[in-house]
Amino acid sequence: MTQLDTQSTGLARRDFLKVSATTAAGLSLGFYWPNRGDAAETPKLNAWIEIQADETVIIRYARAEMGQGSRTSAPMLVADELEADWKKVRIEYATAHENLRTKRAYGDMAAVGSRTIRNSQEYLRKAGATAREMLIAAAANQWGVPVSECTAALGKVHHAASKRSLSYGKLAAAAAQLEAPKEVKLKDPKDWKIIGKPLPRVDIPDIVTGKIRYGIDAQVPGMMYAAVAACPVFNGKVKAMDASKVENRRGIVKVLNLGEFVAVVANNWWRAKEALREVAIDWETGDHGQLNSAAIMASFKAGMGQAELAVARDDGNTVQALASADKVLEAEYYTPYLAHATMEPMVCTAWLQGDKLDVWTSTQNPEGTLAVSAATAGVAQDKVTVHPMQLGGGLGRKSPQDFTRQGVMIAKAMAGTPVKMVWSREEDIQHDLYRPASLVRFKGGLDKDGKLNALHIRVSAPSILATLLRLPLPKGVDGQAVASFNDHPYDIPNSLVDYAQRNSNVPVGFWRTVGHSQNPFMRECFVDELALAAGKDPLAFRMAALGQKSPRDMAILQAVAKAADWGGPLPKGVFRGIAETEGYGSYTACVCEVSVSDKGEVKIHRVVIGIDPGHAVNPDNIDAQLQGSVVHGLSAIFWGEMTVKDGRIEQSNFHDYRLMRLNEMPVVKTVIAPTGGFWGGVGEPTQAPLAPALCNAIFAASGKRVRSLPLKNHGMSLKA
Amino acid sequence: MPQTSHQARRRAWLRHSLGCWAALGFASQVKAQGMVSGKLLSLSQMLDPIVAGAKLVRADVHIETVILADNGLSVPFRVWVDSPMTAQNHVTHLWLLSQRNPVTVMAKAHLGPHSGRAELSTRLRLAGGQQLVALARLSSGEFRYELADLIVTEAGCVDSS
Repeated sequence: MTQLDTQSTGLARRDFLKVSATTAAGLSLGFYWPNRGDAAETPKLNAWIEIQADETVIIRYARAEMGQGSRTSAPMLVADELEADWKKVRIEYATAHENLRTKRAYGDMAAVGSRTIRNSQEYLRKAGATAREMLIAAAANQWGVPVSECTAALGKVHHAASKRSLSYGKLAAAAAQLEAPKEVKLKDPKDWKIIGKPLPRVDIPDIVTGKIRYGIDAQVPGMMYAAVAACPVFNGKVKAMDASKVENRRGIVKVLNLGEFVAVVANNWWRAKEALREVAIDWETGDHGQLNSAAIMASFKAGMGQAELAVARDDGNTVQALASADKVLEAEYYTPYLAHATMEPMVCTAWLQGDKLDVWTSTQNPEGTLAVSAATAGVAQDKVTVHPMQLGGGLGRKSPQDFTRQGVMIAKAMAGTPVKMVWSREEDIQHDLYRPASLVRFKGGLDKDGKLNALHIRVSAPSILATLLRLPLPKGVDGQAVASFNDHPYDIPNSLVDYAQRNSNVPVGFWRTVGHSQNPFMRECFVDELALAAGKDPLAFRMAALGQKSPRDMAILQAVAKAADWGGPLPKGVFRGIAETEGYGSYTACVCEVSVSDKGEVKIHRVVIGIDPGHAVNPDNIDAQLQGSVVHGLSAIFWGEMTVKDGRIEQSNFHDYRLMRLNEMPVVKTVIAPTGGFWGGVGEPTQAPLAPALCNAIFAASGKRVRSLPLKNHGMSLKA
Repeated sequence: MPQTSHQARRRAWLRHSLGCWAALGFASQVKAQGMVSGKLLSLSQMLDPIVAGAKLVRADVHIETVILADNGLSVPFRVWVDSPMTAQNHVTHLWLLSQRNPVTVMAKAHLGPHSGRAELSTRLRLAGGQQLVALARLSSGEFRYELADLIVTEAGCVDSS
């Protein structure tokens, strides 16, 4: 063992071990204790909870809110353990700069990966329970009775024997002076009073009355506006710029050549945008201007024949099993690049004043925003304030910080002047970090009894992790590219999943549900093909293939099938399709009921979609997520496709990148079937089973097997 | 500045990274991949192979880096050691050690009186939030070190369930 100098290293070593242990467990925070000097004024029981004399309980929410509803659900976890009266709870944002100052008292702040609830539930519940115990102890001290004789409920501590009660507002100051208990016992789920109750989202009144402040609504006195144009060919740069036509135009403040992009700064955004159209920009595109969709597809197809492939799963001997199978099915599926197209485009307001920087932006990753802002402006991280704003949609686009970097570059060039940068819709559609396109080949082998005995899945697709984040890939496999293949739940003795990494100059990123947004479509449609080949009912075939190794997959499949009356009578011309998926720690299934006209009009009569997230914290919000998944999913399924020509994206706005309309929304029946014992995500997995269930129903109705999306390319339309 | 070749080290790091992943012997099924990778090492696990029982003191080494990084792609990192860098008293080696990366020794610089200053400035590629160690070997055979906590945010909808 190394002989450590105990005088100089002893404490550090203990700190090191403590940090190591907490980081390994995924809990990088401890409880931050604020300065007790202000306890009498605004008693804070820990970083998360503040209780005011008027009984208002302030609970801090540390992640972003973009419509996913966890600004309500996460505080519910705290409030339940706190035994708070939900009616008296007010939720406030924690900030990235405060998190930095307190050595990450609020932990991870990124709202990504459907992990707000599942990754923070333990420390949030502990924060509530700790504060509850301190309030009880304060009351017991005041009454001179044992703590064990006191209970807490609805914002009060009670002593049953003497029939006395004290409200949290009256106890908070004294409680804040006490030491926090080191260990607290969390409630048994059967005792939850707030968790599991369908509560309306706290931000709904402000949304419907227009009071909510989105990132795009940021207003700073003296603020200027910027419109930007990056090279339409990805990774291109500005070779030359001539802004003489617009520089002296009314309202134009400055035209900036920032190397990677051009920005026009004006006294209103429309003037900036219109002037930008008349700035002559000569772009340096290199060889990338030759790229097109056909070349990308050719690259994917070449990947299918690649000699050396990364192996993501290899159970049994699939090649041999396929060779000896009674029946072998083979099919190739394709899904296209997709843009996020959030309702609010990329936006960033930044104000550099000396060594101090303020940033207002719609970000899924406030800490990342802080880091990128500081690095871009060249100021210290503790000089950056990231103001929390609601997001006008995120869908994964607003976790990478390319747009923040642009906004701060402009602010740096305009030092002293606050500038709001807003992307046009065209800029947004054409400079996204796209959901990767993917080509997948399946080979399935059935034995003489129609049992699935071998499955080979070959994926040829770009890697998000290798290109966007440049992470090392275990065995060369991007886990997102093969998601739902490498971890498929079917009890098949021979499974081979291999992967050809095929990157292009089209930048890829995290689109809601990521690999699970496309791979379940392919997998579950191919499973339907196998069921048909085996002459079996799609539900029965799946149940048999799942076996007893995947009880939760079976349970949600059965729950949704039952809710949809699978096998029951349907009106003439209406047919069903079914699918089961899993991801982000949850289990999902869907049944679609459709009819298809001779003209290819698809009428969706009903969608039955369900989830088992383990614990369902706010069923009302899960219900909304399930329905929202149908809206978002159907837009992609019917129309979503980004195509590439001359190195650039061909689509530019909602006229050629359509979203679903209100009158096209089908009836949705939701099934929330929590089986308890685990915490799964909701925002992303709910979208996974829709596409395969729908396309399986389309096959049942029309006999047309859809093996690529969107449906518009198959002559199909959505009938309102 | 020390006479080092960052590019060469970076290439070596990449080679080693891939090699290490292969050597870990993954099970047949690659689990869903998180944004962070690797196990966190203890201080002892990081230092023992190099220090090998010599005297080790947390002193004289200084680190300048960011607290937060939005991703681990390219994190600025500067380290310097208080040393006269004379023939009698100088820093002979400087290591940058990672608690979590596939390869623990991210960099090893060979220094001497000719270096003038015991200082190294580079950019690091980090597989997630972790503690970093800058370890200096003195010409006396003793070691000095300093630690830095660094948070790498997980900025993507990765399904690591």
